[in-house]
Order: sequence, then structure tokens, then C-alpha cells
Amino acid sequence: MKRLSWALVALCYLPSYSYSEEIYGTTNNAAQAGLNWVMTQVLPEYAGLEVNGLVYSYTAVKDPETDMIVWVQNEYADGSGYIFRNSDDWSGLPGNTISKSFAFPNLPATLWGPGSVEVEGEGSVEDASIIYSYRYDTCFDPQSDPSCPGYEETVEVPEIPIYDPLQDALVQEDMARKARIQEEEEERERQRRREQWALSNTLEDLLGDGNNPGLVDPVAEALALALTSRTLPTDYLYSLEGREYLEAVILDGGTIEDNVKARRSNLAQQLLHQQMVDSQYESSQQETK
Amino acid sequence: MLKIVVPMAASILATEFVQAQTEIIGNVDSKCIIVSETPGVYGNPNPYQLTTAPTSGGVQPIIRFDVLAADYYKAVIEHPVSFSSSPTLDDVVTWTGDVEVSEVSDTDMSTYDSDKVEYDNAHEYQMTVAGSTWFKISSVADYGYNKSFPAGQYTAVVEAECIPL
Repeated sequence: MKRLSWALVALCYLPSYSYSEEIYGTTNNAAQAGLNWVMTQVLPEYAGLEVNGLVYSYTAVKDPETDMIVWVQNEYADGSGYIFRNSDDWSGLPGNTISKSFAFPNLPATLWGPGSVEVEGEGSVEDASIIYSYRYDTCFDPQSDPSCPGYEETVEVPEIPIYDPLQDALVQEDMARKARIQEEEEERERQRRREQWALSNTLEDLLGDGNNPGLVDPVAEALALALTSRTLPTDYLYSLEGREYLEAVILDGGTIEDNVKARRSNLAQQLLHQQMVDSQYESSQQETK
Repeated sequence: MLKIVVPMAASILATEFVQAQTEIIGNVDSKCIIVSETPGVYGNPNPYQLTTAPTSGGVQPIIRFDVLAADYYKAVIEHPVSFSSSPTLDDVVTWTGDVEVSEVSDTDMSTYDSDKVEYDNAHEYQMTVAGSTWFKISSVADYGYNKSFPAGQYTAVVEAECIPL
């Protein structure tokens, strides 16, 4: 027995000893400032908080003869209806103070949207009291406390100096040397090209000068001419014989009668044209007057 | 031999007759619970008067009735008509009081007050709705004809009963 108690004490002092605790509580009166409230301002901000109950009371002030329904409700946070809604029908009844309590199956606080007490009909609500009960686990987030089960020690990442080889003096010197060599090679290449270009220009000048007797070889010239004549089309060397093509069709006399219908049509068109011209003339005469 | 055996067997059968009894047990829990929520306090606004009126420094006692089954009980509440303990009094104490429904858990209970029956100092309510009903009691004691109460502690009792129908 003594050994067991020592083991328990040792267990308590082990670094891995851990526990979590469920905290229960109640809110202040949500309807303290009015008949509409926002849950984020009512519920405490604990991770994993769940609402497990609601107690409300109010005094209905009304005429017993009138109709009145009082809704106590909470919308879903995403606006998709009501997470809680209860009605008290006071229609035809005298007003009184009503008190009701409800239990919920631990509904996450994130589901709870705006709450309100709504009066439908004639009458009013006084001294409204809306109190939510809630619970939360102190170790909902195991990393929130080293004593929580599942807590993992945060690994400290050592600060490793970043080595930039481009900043190294030796590397920079070597790179400068290579750059220098490359520049020299490029300069040599440019010089070589300049010299080559100058040489080729000189040769072109020499070769392009037809008056240079040193460059005209009669044999080569004749050979080139012969080659040229051989490659040209032979038709270029022949001339075409000219000829005259005489009229071959001869009309054999006779008269061609006018078409009477065509003539009538032509006359009618002529008459119409004359009328149009006269009309234009008359209108121009009138404008000038 | 057979003749002997038969009577013997008969006698054995006669002695082997047994009898047994078994019990049926049932417990009935009351479906009506009375809870004293707020104890009352007498204020002494005038030397001759003790009252539970809050405006006179008193506190009205509140009794809650939890009825689990509707229409099976009636509540009878009696406001005090005598002190259960007090200094010696040599004059008459005039008692007045009232009982009213102060809070309900169902809107239909709001008719309890108008439907109640009063006799003497008793107020009788038919518990026709299941749920909780809070009753607030007021009590005033006037001593003699404007005569001062003797100094001391005064205690009076409110009696509340839940009677099965």
C-alpha cells in the first residue's frame, strides 16, 4: 500500500502527467439591454464552448381579452432558420410572469445566431431574463496548456545563418577573374571578326574591279560566255515571221427591217424622257423667277 | 406387501404438500412537489405593524409547486393567522394576508388566480396544468389598536399542502 502511494505521488510529478477539465457556467441576462441580442456578446470566448441549456422568464403585460403570442428564439448563425424557438400563447389569458427552462444536447456555440424576444399581437414584455448555460473543455485545444493530454512540445527551430555563395569574397574574386577572361576572349573574337571583315572587303574590291587587267583572264571570260549562251533558252536566238490576218466574213447585201414593237417602245421611252427633261427645265425656270 | 406400501406412499405425499407466498411491492412517488424558494421576512414600518410588503422592508415568501401530472392535485396555501413564536402578547393581533400566483411555467396557469377558491385564510388552487407554479404570500399583522409590538423575534408560518384529488 505504501509502495502504491509512492507510485501515485511519483506519477503526479512526472512531466507527462496531464488532465483536462470541463467547466460549466451561465451567462448574464442576454436581454439586459433589450429584446434582441448577439450571441458573440453573450457567450464567453472559449474554444469548443457548447450551450447546454436556457432559462428564460418575462412578465407579459396585456389585457386578458386580447390575443398575444410571445416568441423566444435564436437563429442559426448561418441564417438557415432557428436553432431554438419557443412560443407562449397568452391569447385570452391574463398576463403573468412566466419562467421556462430548456436543455440542449451540447450545441456548439458557433451554431448560435442572434436571439430575440418577439411579441405578436397586443401586449408587451417586461423584465425579460434570458440566461444560457454552457460548458467547455479546458483542453479542447491540447496545445493551449502543457498539462493537457495530447500536448506536444513545440520544437524550437534553430536559427541557421543563410550562406549566400555569391557574397563570398573568394567566389566573387573567382567570378571576376572568369568575367575578365571571358571579356578578353570576346574582345579577341571581335578583333578577329573585324580583321576578317576588312580582308573580305579588300578581296571584293579587288574582284569587283573589271578594269583591273590583272584580274581579267581572256580564256576564263570566253568560257564564262560560252557557259552563259548554253544556259539561255534557244528561242531567244530565233526571230518570228510576221503575217496579216484578213477579214473572212462578207455580208451578202439586203436590208434589215426595223422591229415595229421595238420601235414603238423606243418612241415611248423617248417621249417619256422628253417629258422629264421638260419638267426639269420648267421647274428650274420657276426657281430662277 | 403392496398393502403396506400404498398407505406409506400416501402418507409421504401428505407430508410433502408445500405452500408458497410471494410479495408484490409497489412504490408511489408523489407527482406534486412543494419547494420553499424564498423565506419571508417581516418588516416593521410602524410600531404596531409587521408586514411582508417589500415597500415596508419586508420580503414576501415564495413557494413553488411542481406538478408532474395535471388534474390530479389541488394546492392549498394558508397565510398566517398566528405567530408560531413571539414575545408574550397581551392584546389582539389582527391578521390579513393574501396568496397570488407570481410566476408560471405555462401560460394556461395564468388563470389559477381567477379560478381559486378562498375560505378563511386558505387559498385553494386546482392544479390543472403540469409544470411549476410559484405562489407569493403576503402577510400583515396589526397589534391592538395602534399598539406597539413588544421587542423580540416574531415568527409566523405559511402552510402549503398538495392534496391528491
